[in-house]
Amino acid sequence: MKAPLLELRGLAGGYDPIQIFQDVDLEVPHDRAVGFFGPNGHGKTTLMKTISGVLEPWSGDVIFEGRRMNRAAERGSRRWRNFNYDAIIPRRMDPKAVARAGLIHVAQGNLLFPEMTVEETLSIAPIAAAGRAGGAAETKRRRDEVEALFPRLAERRRHKARYLSGGERQMLSIAAGLMAAPKLLILDEPTLGLSPRLRGELCDAIRQVRAGGVPLILIEQDVGFLKELIDVLYLFDHGRISRRLTRDEVPSHDRLMAMLFGERE
Amino acid sequence: MSLDTLLVVASGGLVLGAIYALMASGLAVVWTTLGIFNFAHGAFIALGAYLGWQLSHAEASGLGLLAGALGAVAAMFVIGVCFHYALVRPFERKANIVAASVITTLAGAAIIENGISLVWGPRSKQMPRLAEGDVALGPVVLSASDLVLLVTVAAILAGLGWFLGATRTGRSMRAVAQNREAAELMGLDVPRLYAVSFGLSAAMAGLAGLFVGSIRFMTPTMGADPLMKALIVVILGGVARFTSPIYAALIVGMVEAYSSYFLGLYWTPAVLFALMIAVLVLKPSGLFTSHQRTL
Repeated sequence: MKAPLLELRGLAGGYDPIQIFQDVDLEVPHDRAVGFFGPNGHGKTTLMKTISGVLEPWSGDVIFEGRRMNRAAERGSRRWRNFNYDAIIPRRMDPKAVARAGLIHVAQGNLLFPEMTVEETLSIAPIAAAGRAGGAAETKRRRDEVEALFPRLAERRRHKARYLSGGERQMLSIAAGLMAAPKLLILDEPTLGLSPRLRGELCDAIRQVRAGGVPLILIEQDVGFLKELIDVLYLFDHGRISRRLTRDEVPSHDRLMAMLFGERE
Repeated sequence: MSLDTLLVVASGGLVLGAIYALMASGLAVVWTTLGIFNFAHGAFIALGAYLGWQLSHAEASGLGLLAGALGAVAAMFVIGVCFHYALVRPFERKANIVAASVITTLAGAAIIENGISLVWGPRSKQMPRLAEGDVALGPVVLSASDLVLLVTVAAILAGLGWFLGATRTGRSMRAVAQNREAAELMGLDVPRLYAVSFGLSAAMAGLAGLFVGSIRFMTPTMGADPLMKALIVVILGGVARFTSPIYAALIVGMVEAYSSYFLGLYWTPAVLFALMIAVLVLKPSGLFTSHQRTL
């Protein structure tokens, strides 16, 4: 039995001093996609930020391809909390190491770099793939794929991210994620706040990415779209995974809401 | 009042503006990337000048001006990186990094300035002129030294612009300045890029120090005045784009030259600060910006 691609063991975290989620155990097998569904403000995004190392985990482990990404040891003891010189008390988790290992997180509502053009942004995106899949030919091939996937971006190559529409920014974020040759791609509500037409366009692109064999963690509010793509759905509320459903077990949107909030009177 | 006089004053303003542009761009690189104000930038100027003097002057190592300048600038890069690791990096993850860095960079400035006093003594020194002779450009006669200065500054700033716009490291630095979290998620080495920014800024300050030392006397506290001017430049121009402090520096240089000539030397700071206050009241984000701070 091969180790899962990503494994979380008893992960807990939050924004010091407020804990947001706890006891998250999760396995993402190779070549699979998992989905997250749950109410806003219950910690899905915080959990993803902890997985990618932008926030430090308070306890528990993040294991990617059999390698533990965080340092052992519980969260810094009280005595050392104010003494956080990197050389002495290193970060518990380094987002750079996580990204370079191939776990790419496309953050929610990510504006990337407002004053940089599409071209410039995509030119630095392969840095996370350096040493893994960083050859020039490989990068060129991925670039062509990304441009085929998002023809709009190719048209807007010389535009700064600030002047792109919401949908185009989201496309740029995903494109930048793909340029990093992801082994696992986290998409955090990629269609949030988009018009139905753009939403459809973006969903098509995500379907293609998935069809290309990239494992996904997908956070979405649209159950129908989730069900199409994912193998396992986790219901996430109050900072915990409350239920695990396989694709066939995923019910309708109303039924799912009832599972989260209880039956309507 | 003849046209010639105006042109001569303008050429003086141009030289001042070029030095301020070099300083302010260095200051702006750290300000935009790390989000902190480096009060030791003035001390970097003095240190660069003294290192240059030490390496190039006939009474010291006597390597010649070019070798001395290159050596001083390279040494300043290393010193900038060390300064970052010792005095800024330890506080990087604290919420009050801005306040903490004010104190640590001021402390660093005091250490550097007093270190210079200790090593080279308080007596003022002077760098040799960059070149001898005069060059006539139409009606304006520039000293060859000023011309070398102007050409060098223009080349350095153009080089910086190219570095930030076209190289991967430069683009990464801009990315970190614009959105640190997204840059981290992209796998950029943020601490290293911060260190490079600091080193680059210190190297530019060191070069500015060499130029200041060649037109004025060098003292351990010689950086205080150019630092103040660079601060005015950065506030005046804003830092939205890498070119905005350069325009603002030319304005400040010109205003300084003309007000020194027509109003007198002692009125110049008052005029500059009045200008700064006016800009802060009317357009707090700077003359040449309509957007947020970035590189």
